[in-house]
Order: sequence, then structure tokens, then C-alpha cells
Amino acid sequence: MELRPKPTPTEEELANIPGTEPSARIDAWWWLVVLVVGVAVLLLVAKPDPFWNILLFVRDGLVVTVFVTITAFIFTLILGMFGGLGRLSGNRIVYGISSLYVELLRGIPLLVQLIWWYFAFPVVVQQTGRSLNIPALANYQANAIFIAVVGLVVCYGAYMSEIYRAGIQSVPKGQVEAARSLGLSYAQTMRYVVFPQAFRVILPPVGNEFIALLKDSSLVSVVAVADLTRRGREFMATHFNPIEVWTMVALLYLVMTLFSARMVSWMEKKTRFEK
Amino acid sequence: MEPIIQIKDVHKHFGRVHALRGVSLDVYKGEVVVVVGPSGSGKSTLLRCINRLEEYDAGKIIVDGIPLDSTENINAVRREVGIVFQSFNLFAHLIVTENICLAQRVVRKRTRAECRKIALDLLTKVGIPDKAMNYPAQLSGGQQQRVAIARALAMNPKIMLFDEPTSALDPEMIKEVLDVMLTLASEGMTMVVVSHEMGFARAAAKRVIFMDDGQIIEEGTPEKLFTSPSHERTKLFLSKVLH
Repeated sequence: MELRPKPTPTEEELANIPGTEPSARIDAWWWLVVLVVGVAVLLLVAKPDPFWNILLFVRDGLVVTVFVTITAFIFTLILGMFGGLGRLSGNRIVYGISSLYVELLRGIPLLVQLIWWYFAFPVVVQQTGRSLNIPALANYQANAIFIAVVGLVVCYGAYMSEIYRAGIQSVPKGQVEAARSLGLSYAQTMRYVVFPQAFRVILPPVGNEFIALLKDSSLVSVVAVADLTRRGREFMATHFNPIEVWTMVALLYLVMTLFSARMVSWMEKKTRFEK
Repeated sequence: MEPIIQIKDVHKHFGRVHALRGVSLDVYKGEVVVVVGPSGSGKSTLLRCINRLEEYDAGKIIVDGIPLDSTENINAVRREVGIVFQSFNLFAHLIVTENICLAQRVVRKRTRAECRKIALDLLTKVGIPDKAMNYPAQLSGGQQQRVAIARALAMNPKIMLFDEPTSALDPEMIKEVLDVMLTLASEGMTMVVVSHEMGFARAAAKRVIFMDDGQIIEEGTPEKLFTSPSHERTKLFLSKVLH
């Protein structure tokens, strides 16, 4: 219930308030995106040295950040669905495992989790491989990007499980009873009745998670992933111009997060229905 | 003739509350049975046991020759038994037509065109063909309940269960729902109705069952039960409900 979006005024009500008519509402926040992009372009044009050089230097990091974020997000959505359904399961073992997962992982800082996956996990695998005499495991070498994605998915999956759980619980029990009494199976009831209704409830918090994940992906820079943040630090190490580098990096993150926020809000409008 | 619903010595507990204490009841094809009783007497629980929305702890229920014991059997029974709820429970994210079509498509595997035609025919039957494209939230309570009846009928059920279908309605909407139920009864539908609408019971019911404290206290024709009940508890209850 706590995740249900606040009741929004109807179109008619808003149309009567100056500045909130549909066109104005859409434009107002898009203008912020335009403004931030404008500032970035202005810096690039007015002072190509160093700003243009910075952008060229960090662009592969930008690609890595986007790749890591989107990949991790997709797997987070899948893991969260199983976690959420597990938290609602009548089976005690399934419920116990998913609850333990959620409670433990939410209690450990993401940075510590990432460091554990990068430095401790490969050693665990190698030692297991040695003691079991499996050379493939004993010689295991961690792939930084893979480890980073795993770390992000495992951590964010725990938060996503709770969002799914709350979303599914927000659908009244009578909806499930009506579907089951018409002969729909559990899976059909979830697919056709519960998920479509839960989807609209969880869209805003899921959108928030995406933006949070995008920002938290900067933490993977400490585990040898050459993302936007790490590339920024590398540039600074050779050129010693912190103001320009970190302003540019901040602007790039801001463009991505503000744009994502607009997309989420656009999807919310698209999927709204009468309640 | 074998009864279409056979309930044998069914017990049900909610935690420490013994909600059904050995209920047995047979309903024959084409019969309309109305169940009355004070709140908490177990009448809704009994109704919900018939399509296994509620699990029972002991006893046996056989619907149309199928015992409610395995998942496949429960699903088979649910396909043949329609239920109408007190709170309508229309799918909030689907328009009226889609509400009526969903189970037809997914469970009965009918084509879209077939479903639409059946939906529109049923909406005409319940008197609101013009609401086909509306969302449930845009309808009045009486209209929603009539859509819920149409949704259940679209599956061509052999039995219809009604769980206090008019209790959540404003007085002026009760009649429009009862009229649809009376039509169904006159067409020979087997119906089990939990309701305090004495007018409906008099007009349509073959038998009225009085339940109290998880047990069937007495049963009889509406005439007999309402005018000369034999148990004290029935008399006490009727004196509060009939006016």
C-alpha cells in the first residue's frame, strides 16, 4: 500500500490551473534535461581543451557504465520477481530462503559486497577447486565486468524483491479469487490479472531503482571496471584538472539520470488506467 | 437422480474457530437453494468450499460427479461452477468486454470473435450492452454486479454460486441484480444463493437452508421456513430479518 502512487489530480482539474495544462507539465521537466545538455554542449564548444578531450577519453567508460547498468537491471528484474514470489510463497522453505536473502543482502553496504565478490569470491572458487582437484576452478580468474554485474544484481535483486512483493500484495485478494474461480491456473492468474495490475503500482519504485542503479554503478570503478567514474579518475591522474574532469563526469551522469526519470514518468502516463 | 452437489459432513476451522461443524447438503440439478443465517454462521464459508476457494479440513464434496480432491479436479470443477461475489471483483485493469472474455480465451480457448459475441449477448441479457467498453470503476455497483454475473455465465457453468450478491449495493440497485438472478432461475440454472433477500427466496427458491454456528439448523420451502419455523434459533433470526 505504501508504494501506491499519490492520487493525482484529474486532467480536468489540472487544465484549470495555469502552468499545469498537459503541454506545460511535459515541457517543464524536459527543459531541465535540455538545460543540462545545453550546459555540457556549451562547455564542449567554448573550451574544447580540456572538455572535448575529457569526453573523448571517457566515452568508452560511458559505454561500460550504460552496459553494466542495463545488463544488471534486466537480471535484477528477473531475480526480483522470483524473490518477490518467494516472499509470498506458502512453502516455508521457499519463503525462508527468499526472506533470508532479502534481509541479509539489504544489511551489507553495496561497496563491501562488490569488494567481496571481486577479491574474496575468486579465492573461494580457487580453494574449492584445489581441494576438489578441479583444475578449471583452481585456475579461475575473475572477469571484472562479470563480477561487477553479479554484485549489482545480487544486491539490487534484494531490494527489487521487496518492490515486487509490495506490488503483488497491493492487488486485492478478490482479484485472485475471481480469476481462480473462473478456472485460471496460478500462473495464468499471475500473468493476466495480478502482474498487469501490480506493474502499474511498481513502475515508479522500479524506475527509481533503475536510476539508483545507474548512479551506484559508479562503485564498480573500485573493482577494476573501466566505467565512466574510473576513466574520469584516470584522466585526472595524468592531467591534474579536477574541476573540469569531475564537472564533466557529473554532467554526463546527470544527463543520463534526468533522461531516465523522464522516460519513467512517460511510461507511467502511458499505462495509467481508471481505478 | 444423483445430486449435482453432494456435501458430506464437512468441517472447517479458522485457527481455533470451528466455522463448519459437520455440514451435509445435497443440491439437485435445476434447484435454487437459498442459504440464510446470522453473520458468522458459516454460510459464505460453505459456499466457498463448493468451488474450493476455501479448503475444508474433513468431509467430502462432490460436484457433478467430480470429488474435490486433486488440483486437476478442483480446476475441472471451477470451470463448471460460476461464482458471484459480494464485492464484484471485476478485473480493475480490463474493460467490461475483456473482463468477460479473459477466461473464455485462456481457459475455454475460444477465438476473440467468439468471445466478443458471447460477451455482447450476455451484456444484452443483463441489460447493459452500452457499457461494453467501460472500465469497472466507471460503472455503478449494480452494473458491476451484472457484469460479474455475465462474466461467470460466459463460461457456460452448470452451477452458479452467489455470495451475498446484493449486500454491497445501494437499495435502488438491488432490484436490477435480483431481476437477472430471477431470470436465471426461471431458465433452470442450478443456483446456491447466500442472501437475505426474502423476496427473492420466496419467488425463486425451492428450498431455504437456515444455518447457525457452523451447522444447518433446519431447511424447508420458503413458505414453511419463513412462516412456521420449527426451531427457536430460526424464529429468533427471522424476527430480526423479516419486517
